[in-house]
Amino acid sequence: MSDPVRIQQEDFSQDAEIAALKASSKRMGGIATFLGCARDFSEGRDVSEISFEAYGSMALAEMRKLREEAIAKFDLLDARIVHRVTTVQAGDNIVFIAAGAAHRATAFDACRWMIDELKQRVPIWKKEVTPEGESWVTQHP
Amino acid sequence: MIKVLFFGPVADRVQTRDMDIEYTDGMNLHDVTHKVGMQHPGALSIVSFIAVNQTQVHDKQTVLKDNDEIAFMAKFSGG
Repeated sequence: MSDPVRIQQEDFSQDAEIAALKASSKRMGGIATFLGCARDFSEGRDVSEISFEAYGSMALAEMRKLREEAIAKFDLLDARIVHRVTTVQAGDNIVFIAAGAAHRATAFDACRWMIDELKQRVPIWKKEVTPEGESWVTQHP
Repeated sequence: MIKVLFFGPVADRVQTRDMDIEYTDGMNLHDVTHKVGMQHPGALSIVSFIAVNQTQVHDKQTVLKDNDEIAFMAKFSGG
């Protein structure tokens, strides 16, 4: 079974991630997921590509810590976080987060918390390629 | 030797991804920041986070050890 926390170039399968999450416990009654994908428009400009860069060792360590914190904080049965670091086009998958809990409320809360924390804490940067040139992205809400 | 790493927008400004700084006894994070700032004026204005050995550090007086890895990072924008 794949590692529940990964940084990778290649695309991921949401079905495979959810299946792996479900396999971890039969007590799971609710799974909330977040899929982040690339938009073709940002800040009033067309975006043709987005390229990602990470401080790999720190990013992975922080994502693992984030998962462990989420499991403890929300009493999750399991959680998974996968982030691509590569160049993507509009519509491509970027990040997948899944939270599995006994009940839906904690799964929703944990999933939201993990993506919000990831944006604040994990050293990954994105650069948008537009017809006007390239620019590093500052945080989106 | 202290290994200094730059990523994303910071790497673009300093036009390199890493540099080595000679370690001296008692060296602290402020010393390294000062050296980098002298070599790349203005480049550190977008640095929001500094990590020592993959852990965020806020105290510039943090004493360094030989072979430490320092990363200068702009605000994150993953996800």
